[in-house]
Amino acid sequence: MIEVQGLTKSFGKVKAVQSISFSAFDGQITGLLGPNGAGKSTTLRLLYTLLEPDSGFARIDGFDVREAPIEVQTRIGVLSDAQGLYPRLTARENIRYFGRLHDLNGGDLETQMDQLIALLDMEAIADRKTEGFSSGERLKVAIARALIHDPRNVLLDEPTNGLDVKSTRAMRQFIRRLRDSGKCILLTSHIMQEVAALCDQIVIISNGVVSAQGSPADLLERTGKNNLEDAFIEAIGSEEGLA
Amino acid sequence: MNKIWIIFEKEVVDSLRDYRSWATGLFWALFGPLMMGGVLIMIGSSVREDIEQPLNLPVQNPQNAPNLIQFLEQHDVIVEPAPADPKAAVRQGDVNVVLIIPEEYGEDFSSGKSATVQLVMDSSRQSASPDVGRIQGLLRGYSTYLGTLRLVVRGVSPEVIHVVTVEKLDVATPQSRATVLISFLPYFIIFAIFNGAAPIITDTTAGERERQSLEPLLINPVPRRSFVLGKLMAAFPFSLASLAITLIGFGIVFNILPVEEYLGVRISLTIRTLIAIFLICLPVVFLASAIQMLVASFARSTKEAGTYLPFIALVPSLPGLALAFFPVKPELWTMLIPTFGQQIMINQFMRAEAFSLSNALISTLMTIVISALITLIAIRLYSREQIVIRKS
Repeated sequence: MIEVQGLTKSFGKVKAVQSISFSAFDGQITGLLGPNGAGKSTTLRLLYTLLEPDSGFARIDGFDVREAPIEVQTRIGVLSDAQGLYPRLTARENIRYFGRLHDLNGGDLETQMDQLIALLDMEAIADRKTEGFSSGERLKVAIARALIHDPRNVLLDEPTNGLDVKSTRAMRQFIRRLRDSGKCILLTSHIMQEVAALCDQIVIISNGVVSAQGSPADLLERTGKNNLEDAFIEAIGSEEGLA
Repeated sequence: MNKIWIIFEKEVVDSLRDYRSWATGLFWALFGPLMMGGVLIMIGSSVREDIEQPLNLPVQNPQNAPNLIQFLEQHDVIVEPAPADPKAAVRQGDVNVVLIIPEEYGEDFSSGKSATVQLVMDSSRQSASPDVGRIQGLLRGYSTYLGTLRLVVRGVSPEVIHVVTVEKLDVATPQSRATVLISFLPYFIIFAIFNGAAPIITDTTAGERERQSLEPLLINPVPRRSFVLGKLMAAFPFSLASLAITLIGFGIVFNILPVEEYLGVRISLTIRTLIAIFLICLPVVFLASAIQMLVASFARSTKEAGTYLPFIALVPSLPGLALAFFPVKPELWTMLIPTFGQQIMINQFMRAEAFSLSNALISTLMTIVISALITLIAIRLYSREQIVIRKS
C-alpha cells in the first residue's frame, strides 16, 4: 500500500514534482503515465527514499519515507532507471549480495533465489559472470535482486524500456503474476499502450502535477472519449513526449 | 556491523577478481625497491670500476716517447696500438680517447722545449669523460714530475713555480648523492600505501557510480555510514599488502647488496626494523584509504578519479623532499603532520637511531584522528541526495 499526499520536490528553480497525491493498493497495478520529464522518475525516487521531499508526505505500508527510510526500504523492491550490475560477479552473486543486505542468509536466501531464477527463466545464465550479458539478461538479474526479499510493494521505473517484443511480453506477464500474488505494484511509463494493457489504476502526470487519475473506465467516462489513448491526450492536453 | 562486513566481503571478492588492477598495484609496490636497487648497483659498480679497472689507451707512435709510455704503464694504463684514423674512431665512439705522439716529440724533449702530445677526444660524450680526465691527469703528472726534476737539476726550488696550490675538497661524491636517494625511501613506503588502496577505492566509489549500480545499491535497507565504512575497510587489505610487499622488497635489496661498502652509510633493514616500520605505518593505511575515498566520491567516473588520486599520493612526498635536502629533527610539530612524522621515524629506524615512543604515539593518534574526521565527511557526503543525482 502506497499513499502519497501533496508531495513536492524542486531542484533549484525547477519544480520537478508539485503537490502530487495518489494511492496505490495491494493486488493492483498502478501506472504513472506522463510524457518524458513530467516528474514520474522523481516521484518514484522520492518513494524509494533516494530523494527527500520538500513538502508533503509519502507512506509505504504506513511508514513515512522521510522518518523511517530503513523500514520503507525493507518493504519495497525497486527496478530503477539505473540497473548497473557488478560485472565480475556472477548473476547469482549479484542477487545474493542484495539478499544479504536485506538480512537474508543461508537456506532461506538460496531457496528464494532459486525460485526467482526459475520464475525469470534464467537458470542458464545464473552462474555466469554478468560481464557481457545482453540487456534482457541484465534486466532479469536486476529484477531478481530487487525482489529477492519478497517485498510487498514493487516500484518499476519504465520496466519495458529498451526491450524487444518478446521480452516486453514476458515482462508484462511477470508483472501480472506479481499483482496476482497480492503485491502493490507501481510502475511508470510514457507508453500509452502499455499502461492501457497493464494497469488497474492510472495516474496521469504532466509538468509535475496530477492531471487525472482513476481506473481505465473512470478515465473514459470523465473525458467523454471512447478509447483510452484519446482520454490520455485529453487529460495531458498534448501528445508531446508520449508513445 | 553485520552489514559493514557484507559490504566489505563483497568489495574484497570483487576487487580480487579484478586481477589486472591489483597486478598493476603489485608492480607499483615493487617500483621503489627495484629503482633503489638499480641505482645502488650502478653506484656500486662505478665505485669499483674506478679503483680496479686498468685503462686501455690507444697510442699512435708510442716508439717516439718510450719514457712517457713507461710512466703510463706504471700507472695502470695498458697501451694499445691506435686505430688507423683516430679522429673518426673517437667520433664514432669506438674508443673514448687516443693519444698521438708526434715525430718531433723526441727532438723537442731532448732540447728542453715544451714537447707537444695530442689527445683526441669528444667532450660532448659524458661516458668518455672519466677516461679522458684520468689520462689528462696522468699526462699533467708526468709533465710536473719531469719539470720538477729539471728545476732541481738547475738548482731551483720547485716551489718557485707553484705560486698557488689548489686543493680540491669535493663533497659531492657518488655516495652522498646516493644518500639523498636513501632519504626518499620513507616516501616510497608511504607512496606504496596510497597506491595499494587507490584502485579499490576508485572501483567501489567512482566505479559504482559509473556502472550505474550506486542507485540500486543505496535503496537497500542499510545506513549510509555502513556503505562508507565497508567500502573504506575493503581497501585496507590491499593497502596493507602493498605496504608489506614494498617493505619486503626493500629488505631484500638492502640485505643482498653490500650497501655499506657502496655508500659508506650504515642502513639497517633487519626483520625487526621492517616490522617496526610496518607497525608505525598502520595508521597511514587508514588515512590513505579515507582521503582517497573522499576525493574519489566526487568523481563521476573512474577516469576522473584516476586523474585526482595520483596527485593525492604525491602530496606526502613534499615533506619527504624537505627531508632529503634539510636535516629535520624529530620534533613534536613534525609528529603532528600525518605521513611526515612516519617518514621521519622510518628514517630513524633505518639508521638505527634512538627513537621515542611518545613520538610514535602522538603521530599515530594524530593520524587516526584526522583520518576519522575525513571518514565522517565522506559519510556526510554519502548521506546527501546529490550523491545519486550527479550522473556520469
